[in-house]
Amino acid sequence: MEVDILELSDRSAKFVLSKVSTSFANGIRRAMIADVPTLAIEYVNLYDNTSVLYDEQLALRLSLIPIVTDAETYVPQAECDVCGGEGCPACEVSLTLSAEGPGTVYSRDLISSDPKIQPADPTIPIVELKKGQKLVLEAVAHMGYGRDSVKWQAGVACGYKNVPVINIQNCDACGHCAAECPKGIIRFEESGAKVSEEDILKCSLCRLCEQVCDIHAIKVDFDENAFVFTMESDGSYTARDLAINAANVIKGKAEEILSILDQF
Amino acid sequence: MGYKCTRCKQKVEIDYEYTGIRCPYCGHRILVKERPTTIKRINAE
Repeated sequence: MEVDILELSDRSAKFVLSKVSTSFANGIRRAMIADVPTLAIEYVNLYDNTSVLYDEQLALRLSLIPIVTDAETYVPQAECDVCGGEGCPACEVSLTLSAEGPGTVYSRDLISSDPKIQPADPTIPIVELKKGQKLVLEAVAHMGYGRDSVKWQAGVACGYKNVPVINIQNCDACGHCAAECPKGIIRFEESGAKVSEEDILKCSLCRLCEQVCDIHAIKVDFDENAFVFTMESDGSYTARDLAINAANVIKGKAEEILSILDQF
Repeated sequence: MGYKCTRCKQKVEIDYEYTGIRCPYCGHRILVKERPTTIKRINAE
């Protein structure tokens, strides 16, 4: 397996994953979306709400706020050995909110009981309060999996495509393929049409260039065992940590199978 | 169950048998239910 990182930032990453099967690449994608546990608000204790949003709608908005997750400190509640799933400081964190209008209540107004656990984005609007309107609540966040609810989904835009392979032979430099290419990656030199190594990853495999070439000089194919992987985190983890955690999930499952098979 | 008149802001009890939905103080017919003072737990889903 080879990994070639093209772009890496806090929230997103793009890399080429090669010498792996489609099943493995899809396994990584699915693990990022569904199997990496994150923190999200599970229930809300409302003390006062005179805002225009009714309680259930407010709770739903709160639950969809991404929360920075510390996977080393917190465990999913169902797997908590300390409390057995009833709720304890090892598996839940409390965030309080107290606001009075006029003004907009933002995610930064949530005050966490653990300073490490904060909303990933501080400027997510929760509700707009008019003069005299009040909102007082305590929100309790649990660790959970994306397969159970979208609020626990850490990877929000994870996908891949095969690495394109473009072969150009006996080109007569007519220019039709370059005019047709929606990505504009085909350039012309004296010897004919060319696509650079960097630009080839932009190819969407639409094959319009192939169709428009009268002499069939251009052939578009793809590498079955190499993938251009694009991923984006909701902010609960950095893109790097999300990829590492997804790989660890797959590793953990493989080890579980091995330990079961070892018993026979 | 406590209600509040939207005009005179008085707390009123609804008398379904005689007066019906009407404020006994000002006669206004729009009453709103007061929010209970207990803590309300809502599942965020």
